[in-house]
Amino acid sequence: MGATYVVTLREGFEAALLLGIVYAYLDKIGGRVHYRYVTTGAVLGLLASVAAGVAVSLASGPLLDLGPDLIATAVVFAAVVLLTWHGWWMRRHARELTGDVQARIAQAQATQRLWLVGMIAFTGVFREGAETVLLLWGLLTQAASASGYDGAVGGVLGVATAGALGWAIFRGSRRVSLGRFFTATSLVLMLVAAGLCSTGTGKLQGLGWLPPSEALWDTSGLLSDTSLLGGFVAGLAGYRARPTPLEVAAWLAYLALATPLLFGLRWRARRALPVPPR
Amino acid sequence: MRSRLALLVAVVVAALLVVAGDVRAADPPEVALTIEQHRFVPEEIRVRAGTPFVLVITNKDATVEEFESHELRLERIVPAGKTVRLRVRALRAGRYPFVGEYHEKTATGRIVAE
Repeated sequence: MGATYVVTLREGFEAALLLGIVYAYLDKIGGRVHYRYVTTGAVLGLLASVAAGVAVSLASGPLLDLGPDLIATAVVFAAVVLLTWHGWWMRRHARELTGDVQARIAQAQATQRLWLVGMIAFTGVFREGAETVLLLWGLLTQAASASGYDGAVGGVLGVATAGALGWAIFRGSRRVSLGRFFTATSLVLMLVAAGLCSTGTGKLQGLGWLPPSEALWDTSGLLSDTSLLGGFVAGLAGYRARPTPLEVAAWLAYLALATPLLFGLRWRARRALPVPPR
Repeated sequence: MRSRLALLVAVVVAALLVVAGDVRAADPPEVALTIEQHRFVPEEIRVRAGTPFVLVITNKDATVEEFESHELRLERIVPAGKTVRLRVRALRAGRYPFVGEYHEKTATGRIVAE
């Protein structure tokens, strides 16, 4: 039971984190009516995961030998772009935080491209979705036997725990002020994106499209990739116990580029751009 | 907006198809690997260093497995009863462990490049 619990929780954590954040974000800008963007994105992500799972199970052939890797890599980098875009938008919006509540909410809803949060939900769910769907499906079909039952319960509980974590993030963020929420969210999303950037780079190395290299260091004795905590830190910040130099470089390069984009000029901008009268 | 998105998706899919066809053009040697009773058979695969190859992984179990090598940054779902082909880049001489992620206690093995 423990083994499948850890696997599904690890796979579901990142999706739960992202969903919790984007729902909370809509709540914060008074955009609850727009929850449907996120819900639709998440449901489509789930459907796409099921479709991918079915495709992998039924079909075979040249495309299926490479398709999963290509899609996985494309989704990783798409998520990086989406998260950066969202973070950048939040920063711009944060400049106007001094305006009155209604005005800033109205403006947020008017200027935000809300399908963007839907896309974040989609990629968040789809990234590990097909694997989780296939694993859970396999576990449930084995649930009749005693050992299979344990595994199935563990797998379902793992997904449920991931969902609960997402819910906790959503609820917890309600007590936080809008400004602090934006800052914290920007930071988390930036770390997630940096991690994804490094993950994608590793995938490209694995596929042989980027030159391979030896690990730069080995901290697997300290915190293993496959442990629960290691999985969380991997989902949150792209932790790798044995990263290659290119992965580390991608992680650092992303942070170096994204930090000024998402945080850099905020205090100056706030001073330089007084809120126009409404 | 929606049509632009659809176009973007179409372009990405087309590009993936082209890349997939292109990469498959080469014909590297194949190495068979079987999953049975949540174990890999054989547990040690010997390959020539410096030569890319294709792992042909067959899952004889009734449960899905995920072949995963952290070392090689490779992971691939292998559904129950299915065979998948996984391209592995040219490796430097050395040992590269892999696991079945869903049964990590029993499903372990390594590629030895020499």
